[in-house]
Amino acid sequence: MAPVPDPNNVGGGAKRDEATTKVPSKDPKKKDDKKEDDLSEEDLELKQNLELYVERVQDPNPELQKAALESMRQEIRASTSSMTSVPKPLKFLRPHYGTLKELHKNMADSDLKKLLADILSVLALTMSAEGERESLGYRLTGSGGDIGSWGHEYVRNLAGEIAEEYTMRQSEEASVEDLMDLVKQIVAFHMKHNAETEAVDLLMDVEDLDLLLAHVDRTNFRRTCNYLTSSAKFLPGPDDMLVLDIAYMIYMKFEEYPNALQVALFLDNMQYVKQVFTSCSDLLRKKQFCYMISRHGITVELDSEMVADKDDRDMLQDIVNNTKLSEGYLTLARDIEVMEAKTPEDIYKAHLLDGRASSGPSVDSARQNLAATFVNAFVNAGFGQDKLMTVPSDAASGTAGNWLFKNKEHGKTSAAASLGMILLWDVDAGLTQLDKYFHSTDNPVLAGALLGVGINNCGIKSDCDPALALLGEYIDNEDSSVRIGAIMGLGIAYAGSQNDQLRSSLSPILNDAKAPLDVIAFAALSLGMIYVGSCNEEVAQSIIFALMDRSEAQLGDALTRFLPLGLGLLYLGKQESVEATAEVSKTFNEKIRKYCDMTLLSCAYAGTGNVLKVQDLLAQCGEHLEKGDIHQGPAVLGIAMVAMSEELGLDMAIRSLERVLQYGEQNIRRAVPLALGLLCISNPKVNVMDTLSRLSHDTDSEVAMAAIISLGLIGAGTNNARIAGMLRNLSSYYYKDASLLFCVRIAQGFVHMGKGLLTLSPFHSERLLLSPTALAGIVTLLHACLDMKSIILGKYHYVLYFIVLAMQPRMMLTVDENLKPISVPVRVGQAVDVVGQAGRPKTITGFQTHSTPVLLAAGERAELATDKYIPLSPILEGFIILKENPDYREE
Amino acid sequence: MLTVSVKWQKKVFEGIEIDVTLPPYVFKAQLYDLTGVPPERQKIMVKGGLLKDDADWSAIGVKDGQKLMMMGTADEIVKAPEKAIVFAEDLPEEEQATNLGYSAGLVNLGNTCYMNSTVQCLKSVPELKSALSNYSLAGRSNDVDQTSHMLTVATRELFGDLDRSVNAVSPTQFWMVLRKKFPQFSQLQNGMHMQQDAEECWTQLLYTLSQSLKAPTSSEDSDAVKALFGVNLRSRVHCQESGEESSETESVYSLKCHISHEVNHLHEGLKHGLKGELEKTSPALGRTAVYLKESLIDSLPRYLTVQFVRFFWKRETNQKAKILRKVDYPLELDIYDLCSEDLRKKLEAPRQKLRDEEGKKLGLQTKSSSKDGDVKMTDAEAPSNESGESSTAAQQEGAGGSSSEKGTHMTGIYDLVSVLTHKGRSADSGHYVAWVKQESGKWIQYDDSYPSVQREEDITKLSGGGDWHMAYIIMYKARFVSM
Repeated sequence: MAPVPDPNNVGGGAKRDEATTKVPSKDPKKKDDKKEDDLSEEDLELKQNLELYVERVQDPNPELQKAALESMRQEIRASTSSMTSVPKPLKFLRPHYGTLKELHKNMADSDLKKLLADILSVLALTMSAEGERESLGYRLTGSGGDIGSWGHEYVRNLAGEIAEEYTMRQSEEASVEDLMDLVKQIVAFHMKHNAETEAVDLLMDVEDLDLLLAHVDRTNFRRTCNYLTSSAKFLPGPDDMLVLDIAYMIYMKFEEYPNALQVALFLDNMQYVKQVFTSCSDLLRKKQFCYMISRHGITVELDSEMVADKDDRDMLQDIVNNTKLSEGYLTLARDIEVMEAKTPEDIYKAHLLDGRASSGPSVDSARQNLAATFVNAFVNAGFGQDKLMTVPSDAASGTAGNWLFKNKEHGKTSAAASLGMILLWDVDAGLTQLDKYFHSTDNPVLAGALLGVGINNCGIKSDCDPALALLGEYIDNEDSSVRIGAIMGLGIAYAGSQNDQLRSSLSPILNDAKAPLDVIAFAALSLGMIYVGSCNEEVAQSIIFALMDRSEAQLGDALTRFLPLGLGLLYLGKQESVEATAEVSKTFNEKIRKYCDMTLLSCAYAGTGNVLKVQDLLAQCGEHLEKGDIHQGPAVLGIAMVAMSEELGLDMAIRSLERVLQYGEQNIRRAVPLALGLLCISNPKVNVMDTLSRLSHDTDSEVAMAAIISLGLIGAGTNNARIAGMLRNLSSYYYKDASLLFCVRIAQGFVHMGKGLLTLSPFHSERLLLSPTALAGIVTLLHACLDMKSIILGKYHYVLYFIVLAMQPRMMLTVDENLKPISVPVRVGQAVDVVGQAGRPKTITGFQTHSTPVLLAAGERAELATDKYIPLSPILEGFIILKENPDYREE
Repeated sequence: MLTVSVKWQKKVFEGIEIDVTLPPYVFKAQLYDLTGVPPERQKIMVKGGLLKDDADWSAIGVKDGQKLMMMGTADEIVKAPEKAIVFAEDLPEEEQATNLGYSAGLVNLGNTCYMNSTVQCLKSVPELKSALSNYSLAGRSNDVDQTSHMLTVATRELFGDLDRSVNAVSPTQFWMVLRKKFPQFSQLQNGMHMQQDAEECWTQLLYTLSQSLKAPTSSEDSDAVKALFGVNLRSRVHCQESGEESSETESVYSLKCHISHEVNHLHEGLKHGLKGELEKTSPALGRTAVYLKESLIDSLPRYLTVQFVRFFWKRETNQKAKILRKVDYPLELDIYDLCSEDLRKKLEAPRQKLRDEEGKKLGLQTKSSSKDGDVKMTDAEAPSNESGESSTAAQQEGAGGSSSEKGTHMTGIYDLVSVLTHKGRSADSGHYVAWVKQESGKWIQYDDSYPSVQREEDITKLSGGGDWHMAYIIMYKARFVSM
C-alpha cells in the first residue's frame, strides 16, 4: 500500500514554503543539487514522497500506479491554491516531467492514462515550451472533471492555449468542438469567480460570445457589460457590433433598460430602441428613455406598440421632441443665478487691459459690430433675453431695431438670426420675436429671420412643423440670400430628421443649372444635415450629380467644399457603407476628387477610433503637394474626427498632430489647430491650450486665426478663466488687425457660451454616445474655417450658427415623478475608469457635494448623495427622473 | 363644423369652431378677435404648411380636435433708421487714421531707420508741426538756401502724409532732399546706403529747420525752433592756476548726458555733461593752461532734448564704439538744480504752485483714507514759504518772463514724450526705433512701418545695460503751471 501522506503535514509544509520559496531558477537540475541541503525537513519529505510516486507510477502494477497518481494529484491540489510562485510539488516534479510524458505515451488507453494526462496537463503549466500547448493537449486527453479544482492559474493558462489553438484550427478549418466544451467549463468557472473580463476575452477569442448569456447573473452582469461596451471601442470591423449586441441582450435580460437603450442608440438600431419600449411596462421609466433619446438628438416616432395609451404617448413624444428643454435650461439658469443678460463688453472686459483698448474708436465698425452680434448671441443663447436684440423697442430710440441696423448688409442676416439663438429652444417666444422681421422689405433681414426660425427650432420637433411651414415657401425665392437663409434654417431645424418632404423640395435645387453656387452649396449641406448618417442613396445621387455639373472655375470656389461635406455627412459614422460612393467620387474632376475622398473617409469613420484610417489620413498629410491642392486640410480634420471617440486614441492623435505641425506644410499647419479644437471640444486640456496659445501668435495669420477659433472651441461653454485671459491679451495684441480681432471676439463668445452652462461636446452618456447632428454641426463649422478668409470673414459668417447643433446644456437636472424639478444632494467629481475592476469600486474621485441642478464639466460624473430617491437611469446626465425609495428610513 | 385648439405664443385657445364651408379667412377673422393680430399678419401652421386665405378646408385635412399653431404679432414692423449708420470701414482713409489714435509708420528705404525714428520723434511736437504749416514759399527769407527750403517743405509734406495715412508712408521725397542737403548721408557700403547716426540726422535736421523757420523779421525771438528746443547755458570758465575767470553764454539744442563709471542715472550724467575741462592759452600765464568750465541752464525750452553720449570713437578698431552701460531715466524729470541762480528764482513760485496743486490732490485722497500725517506737515509749512517767496517771484516776473507765455509758467519739471532707441553695438549698424507718447497717453513704438502699442512701464526699461533697445536721444516736454 502506498503511504497516504498526512494532509496536515503537507499543509504545514506548504505554508512554510510560502515564506521561504525563492524564484525558481532557469536550470532546475543544477540548482536542485545545491539546494538539496537547504531544504527544510518537510520539503525534503515532500520531495522524497513525490519521487517515490513517480517511481511507483512506472510500476507495472495498475493498483500501485493508481494510488501513486491519486497521491500525486492530492499533493498538487493541496498546493495550487496559492499562486505567488511555482508551487512546491510542481517544482519537485519538474525533473520527472520528461519521464512521465514518456510513460504516458507508452501507456495503453485506460482510466489511468487519463489520470496521468490530468497531472501532466498541470505540470505542463510550468514545463511546456512556448507555443506547444501541451497543457491543453493533455487536458483534452484527460479525464475531464472539474476544471477549477486545479486552481485559477491553471484555468487562465488553459484559456490562453485555447485561444492559440483556436486560431490555428480556424486556419486549418479543423473542428473545434472539443475546445468549445472546455471553453464552456472555463467561462462558467470565470464567471463564478469574479473574472468576467477573462471570460469575455476568451469568448472573444473563440468568437462565441453568445455563451455569455447563459452564464451572467445579477451579480456580475454589470461588470461584464461594462467591459463589453468599453472594449467595443477597440475592436475592429463587425466584432464591435457583435460585442454590443451581446451587451444589449444581457442588459435586456436583466431588465436594465436604460443601459440597453444606450447601447441600442450606440448601434443606431431602431429595432432595439423599440424593443426597449415594448419590453418595459413602467411609464415612468419610459419617460426617462424619452429624455435619453432627446439628448441624443435623433427623431423617433413613438407608435402604439411602444406606448399604448394615446395621452401617454403624446406626453412622451413631447419629451422626445425636446419641448421641455428650454424650461429645464432656464430652471438651471435661475438656480445658478445667471439670468441677467450680458453685453459683449461684459465679455471683452476691456478694462482689465491696461488702458489700451479703453479709448475705442468712436465710429461703429461693421466688422466689430458683427462680432458683437455673434458674441451676444452665443453668450445669451437660450436665455430669452439680451441687451441688444430683445430690448423692448418702445423706448424712443428703439434700441432693438437700431442694433440690427448697426450691422451692414449681410451682417443684418446674422443679427436677425441671432434672435433665434437668444430664444433657442423656446419656439413660441422665438416665433413671436422673429415675426416682425418677416415683414421687412430688406432682403438680408428677411434671410436672417428665416435662419433665426431654423436656429430657434434646432433640436425641437413639433406636430405643426413651424419651421417647415414658415421657411418652405422661401426655398425658391428669387433673392439668393433669402434662399440661403431658408435652406440653412431648414437644415438646422430638421437635422437628422430624414424628412422626405424636405428632400423633395431641396434636391431639385442641387441640379438646377440656374441656381447660384452658394445656394447649391448650402442646399447640399442642409440635405447632408437632414439625412445625417442615413446613407440615403437618392440624396447622395443628387449631390454627386451636382458635383459633376460644376464648372472648373466653380470647383475652385471656397464654397464648393460644402458639396463633398454634405455628401460625407450622409455617411457620418457609417464606416463601410461609404465605399460605393467613395468609388464614384474617384471619377470627379481632379480639383475636388481628393478633397471629396478625404471628406468621405473622415466622415464615414468619424468617432470610430479606427487606427488604420488614422494612419491612412496621416499618410496623406505626409505628402508634399503641388500648389493648389487643398485636400490635406480635411485629412487633418479627419484624424481628429476618427480619433476623438476614446481617451487613448485622442491622446495619440494630439501627439501625432504636434508632429504634423512641425513637419507639415502650410496648408496642414492651418488645419492642425482646428483638429486640436475638435479633439478637445469643450474640454480645455492644458497641454492643448498651450499649443494653441503658441499658435495664436503664429506669423501665418491663417494659422493664428484657426488657433484662436480653436481656443474658443476647447473652452466653449466653460468660462475658463485662463483661456479668457489669453483671448483678452490677444484682443489687445491684434488690436489693429480687424480680421484677427474678429476671430478673437468669436472665440470669446464661444468660451462664455450660454454664460458657461452649455457644452459643444457631441459626446454624452459618459462619453459613450456620439450625437450625429452635433458632430455634423461642428464639422461643418471646421470645414468652413479651413478657408476662413472667404467664408467666415467674407459674407457667409452665418455658418457660425451651425454650431447651434452641438449646443447642449451641460447640466444634471433632477425631476420628480411629475417631471417637476426637485433639488437633491449629489456628489460631483472626476470620473474614474472602473472597467475590469472587481467588486464595486468608487466611480468618482475628488468630489464635492452640491444640490441639483448642477453643472457637469468634461470628465465629471455625478452620483446621488441620498438614499431617499432612486434615479431611473444609472447615467446621471441631463434630465433624470427620481423615484422615491420605498425602503428609505429617515434617520 | 370642426373644433380645434390654436396655440399662439404661450397661450392656447381651446375649442375654436371652424365652419368648413367658409374660407379660412373667416377663421382668421375669428382669431383676430381673440388675439388682436390682423389676419394679414397671421401665419397659421398646419402640418408643415401655412394656411392660405382661400384654401379649401377639405384639402388641408384638418381633423377634429387638432392643435394648430399661429405665429404673428401686432407689433410694429422694424424699419431702418432714417439716418444711415456710418461704418468705420466705409470712411475715407484719413478719417480711419484719426479713429485709430496714432499715426502711420514709415517704410524703411534701406538702412533709413535712423531717419524714420528721428522724424517720428520730431513729429510728436505739435508746435513744430504748426510752425511748419505756417511756413510758406513767400515767407522764406533770402538767407535760406534752396536745399534747406526744399528740406523744410519735404518735412512739412511728410508730417502731413503721416497724419492722413493709415498704412505706412514711404518717405522717398524727404530722403532724397535730405541726402541732397547733407551728402554725408549718401555714403554707400557694399552698394547699399549705410546706417547713419540718428543724432547727426536729428541735429542737422533741427538746424536746417531753425534756419528756414526764422521769421523774415530775423529777430532772435521769432526763431521757432530755438524757442521750442533751445537751451541757453551760462558757463563760468575758471583757470585754477591763474585764477582767471570769465563767463560766456551759449545756446544749444540738446543737453548731453555723459556716461562714465559713476553715472547710473540721467541726472548724474547731465551734471557731468555740464562740467568740463578745456585747455586754452591763458593770457595771464602766457601759455596753455587747464580751464574748468561749469555751465548752468539759463533758460528752459518747451522741449528738452537729452542725448546719451553712448558712442565714442575707438582708435584701435577705427569705429564708433558703444557704451552699453545702463543709465536710468525718469518719466518725470526735475532739472531745478541744473539751473542758474536767476532761473531758479523764477522757477520758485510756479513750482510752489505745482506742489500745492499736487498736495491738494493728495490731500483729497488722504482725507478719504484719513490717516496720513505727512501731508498735513507740508501743508502747514507751505503758507509760510509762500508768503516769503511769492513777492520775490513777482518781482522776477516783471524783470524777464521771456520764456513763458502769459498765464503759464515753466516749472523746471519735464515729462517724457519720446525716446529714440538704438539696438546694436555701433552707431553705424544696428537698428533705430522711435517710442512716442501720444496725446491720449498711449505709448506707440514706431519700428519703421510697424507702429505698435506699448505699456508705459516698458518705456523706462529702455535704459540700456544689455542688448535690448536702449535710449539714445530722449525728449521731455515742459510741465507748465498757470498762475
